[in-house]
Amino acid sequence: MTELSRDALLEIVRDVWERHDPVPEHLVAAMQAAAALADSDLDLELMELVERSTELAGARGSTSYTLRFVHGDTDLLLRIAVDDGRSRVDGWIVPPEPMTIRALPGEQPDTHEAVVSDSGRFALTDLPVGVLRLRLEPHDTARPAFATPAFEI
Amino acid sequence: MASRQTGTEPDEQPARTSEPWGQATAAFNRWVGGDPAGLDDLVSVMTPVLWHVVRAYRLSESAAEDVIQNTWLALVRRRSAILDPVAVGGWLTTTARREAWRTAGATAPTPVEDEDLAHALPRQRSAEETAVQHDEGDRLWAAVDGLPERCRRLLRVVAFENRPDYRELATELGMPVGSIGPTRGRCLAKLRVALIEAGGI
Repeated sequence: MTELSRDALLEIVRDVWERHDPVPEHLVAAMQAAAALADSDLDLELMELVERSTELAGARGSTSYTLRFVHGDTDLLLRIAVDDGRSRVDGWIVPPEPMTIRALPGEQPDTHEAVVSDSGRFALTDLPVGVLRLRLEPHDTARPAFATPAFEI
Repeated sequence: MASRQTGTEPDEQPARTSEPWGQATAAFNRWVGGDPAGLDDLVSVMTPVLWHVVRAYRLSESAAEDVIQNTWLALVRRRSAILDPVAVGGWLTTTARREAWRTAGATAPTPVEDEDLAHALPRQRSAEETAVQHDEGDRLWAAVDGLPERCRRLLRVVAFENRPDYRELATELGMPVGSIGPTRGRCLAKLRVALIEAGGI
């Protein structure tokens, strides 16, 4: 029987744990998303919440309410509807401006995005319920991106 | 952690684990230099290491994920505190280990038996794996799994970390600083014996 060296033993320990308690498949992507989000937030300007409607209870446990955010000359109105554990966000940008809206749902790796129409409208559908924030990226690259504070659906 | 305690054996650096540390430093440098893909690579290289270090503290999967995520958020927010890019891997594992230890201490102790049962559950194996490899893997696992808890944790941390901070490890394991090295030696000896007895080598 060969005398196993310290390094060989530690190699066995690594192999055994890698097989018996493997890194969850989603973990790296989730951590990349969380780190990238934190990184991009460092110098992101935040919109200000100026209005929030009371919740309107609908049929079968669905609810909807509105939020209004302001940043500089840009007004953002959101109508949020929750139904059966998923949510839909309808948004209006005033004045209308070409931009991409990205929903950043907490630490989940999947992002939802929409492009603002000529009339300033956009919609994000099938969002998970939970903490959410929207990142607004003007297509005019001279304008820096900005974001809403996190809000809970 | 520019001035980490590196224990009593500064030459210690297992060949295989030295790889992620260099990659981590290179990725960190790219990120600090303005390339966001550097952060992606850093996360991709170091998250598996953090997983094993954190799970050595018997945290649940979700608690372990929280600890790892907090570690990454701490890095992003305090990256200017890392003066030596070579130390970024050690900074990450130390930060994660500290929080894992705090979290493990804050939560009510979980019955060891449950965790052991979970570990003993059969894992999915690829079809290519032969019955022989299967048996050998089981024997190796039985040897590692059968170690006393203190040895299990110490060896898992040492195996995945580059140069664990012996002073902190000693605190976490409730041992005098000077006894970590000897304890590690005893744990390795126990593992060697268990492997031989199990016919795993």
